[in-house]
Amino acid sequence: MAKLILQDVAGIIILAGGLLVVAVVIFLIITSNKGQDHSSDKNKFFGTKDRYFWASVLVVVCILFLSMSLLPNRRNRDKADEVVTVVGVQWDWLMAVGQSNQKPDEFIGKNEISVPVNKTIKFIVTSSDVTHSFAIYNKSGVLLTQIQAMPQYKNELEYIFTEKGKYTILCLEYCGLAHPFMAGTIHVN
Amino acid sequence: MKKERLLITAWSISFVVLFILLIFLGFLMRIGQAEMKKLLLADFYSLMTLHGLGMTAVMFSFAFAILWYLISTRFVSLNIRIGYLVYFTLLIATSGLTIGILIGKFGPGWFLLYPLPFKSGTWLSWSAGVTIISLIVLGLAWLIGILHLLYRLAKEFGGFRNLLGWQYLRKKEVEKELPPMVAVATISLVPALLAFIVGAVMLVMYLLQFIDPEMKFDPLLLQNITLFFAHTFVSVTLFCGVAWVHELLPEFTRRKWKTSKVFVYFWNATFLLILIAWLQNLYMDFIEPGAREFSGQILNFLSAIPATIITMYGVIVQFYHSKIKWNVIPLMFLFGVAGWAIAGFAATVESTISVYKVLHNTMFVPAHLHTNMLMGVTLFFLGFLFYFFCEKTKGYRGRIAKVGFWFFIAGGYGFVLMFYFEGFSSIPRRYARYTGIGIKSMHDTAVQLSQLSVFFVIFLFTGLLIMCFSLISAFLKTERNRISG
Repeated sequence: MAKLILQDVAGIIILAGGLLVVAVVIFLIITSNKGQDHSSDKNKFFGTKDRYFWASVLVVVCILFLSMSLLPNRRNRDKADEVVTVVGVQWDWLMAVGQSNQKPDEFIGKNEISVPVNKTIKFIVTSSDVTHSFAIYNKSGVLLTQIQAMPQYKNELEYIFTEKGKYTILCLEYCGLAHPFMAGTIHVN
Repeated sequence: MKKERLLITAWSISFVVLFILLIFLGFLMRIGQAEMKKLLLADFYSLMTLHGLGMTAVMFSFAFAILWYLISTRFVSLNIRIGYLVYFTLLIATSGLTIGILIGKFGPGWFLLYPLPFKSGTWLSWSAGVTIISLIVLGLAWLIGILHLLYRLAKEFGGFRNLLGWQYLRKKEVEKELPPMVAVATISLVPALLAFIVGAVMLVMYLLQFIDPEMKFDPLLLQNITLFFAHTFVSVTLFCGVAWVHELLPEFTRRKWKTSKVFVYFWNATFLLILIAWLQNLYMDFIEPGAREFSGQILNFLSAIPATIITMYGVIVQFYHSKIKWNVIPLMFLFGVAGWAIAGFAATVESTISVYKVLHNTMFVPAHLHTNMLMGVTLFFLGFLFYFFCEKTKGYRGRIAKVGFWFFIAGGYGFVLMFYFEGFSSIPRRYARYTGIGIKSMHDTAVQLSQLSVFFVIFLFTGLLIMCFSLISAFLKTERNRISG
């Protein structure tokens, strides 16, 4: 059985929520013809409102607590095994190993790069023109992680590639005409 | 009331025509993505920009017009000249946008994310200026309209604090009942006012850079401003719809919907939460302070609570065992709230930071947006249109309208479902074509889902046209009856 990825889990939860809403709508339509004393129905529902409120707060707090531990962008700070500088430019990705102090429009890099497997790679990402989004996909087309590439700012993204192979970089922030063709490659050895 | 009816009739007709044209632009985009017809990249992105900007402008304007009409005919008189000012400004601005975008090929997307409007080199240089000026003119008209409406309401109900319902917190018995629609309209329009002021600042900065290209601004600052403006703006459009649902739905369920202390607490909480929902859009800017990311997630989660408890629960209470005589109007309001619930739940799940990093900027984003705007707000609009045009002829009871409605629901949910599947399949958003993706499985999935999407749009469109036919018949019947006296 294929392992569920985060997108699948989110999808199942959202679709389940959608089906619940549909079920409530169908329930309301079906039961609408059964007349009862209106005030007792209203009181019955409003009587459960407080319980519903506190139940909602409890569920929200639990989910928040659990999900905060999955915060991706604050882990492994300053513990990178390798640093890669990335500059997004209309419409290409320029990459080089090591931290560069050059200005983005003077930076020299390549569209393909190799990094080691099972090591923490820190990508320092910026742009020389407009805002792009540096998004890493595996060979199955699953989005693994992403970060904005913004002019005048540097964003840092840490990632550990656990499988060898070829990874594709796509731009996910609309950046102009050739946005759908702005791609790069990471080889993980 | 005749002047108000004339204004809303003109506005309704303009809205339906513009709405259908703008849907058609979106249809062309999906055809391009489905590889059914090759679109030039420049054409795709100008269609995308006009579809987005046009829809947000037209939908907010019509939401404002409906509130204007209901408030001026039920609660307080409004200056009809200001109503016409907003209406004609919308027409002028839409013309300006069309010229700038379709002829000038201005295509930075409806967000106008800085500094893209000034960096492309592929659209004609004057097109940015025409688009920006059109938006500034439109924004000013909206500001004038909203300020006038809020001023007249505040005067009628004893001050601005009373419009927020604070009198219910102080006393058990209030001097003048606050209609729920007025409370919700206030809570919708005040954030709109703030959003437009911020948006005006942004547009003036853009205009300055258009005039003097050497002038540059901080992209992170502008990203914050843009997202606050844009997200608040579309949220408010939805809440305006919720306002008139509070007013009109009870006429069909024959159950009162009254303002109460609980209602005031939760809607005032919603007021604050509308203003902070935009924060989740900035998770991927890791340079944002960490506290902002945490607070963004917490507040997005919490924002679901007031909406579900007070409005969705309230809607359930309206319908449960109501012995309602079902027709398209309550169906549209019920399904509109359901669409809002689904979109809101999806957004709450997505606002979890770890989920956001794998769904952000995929087709999940248009899935959420279109569920809210198409399966939420549009149904609120349709409910009002049937209420307004068919009131005298009772045309909303007819089978034709119901057939159109079910076609719309089937087509609409099929259409947004394709977006959700694309999002869960990591398909990027705003791709004119998928041929540049070097992963064959991704390309094939994206094209196939786009093709299915085209089929559902045709279904949805058919439903819309059937409902339009029903509305036109009712309108003509009313006019014939009026003329024959």
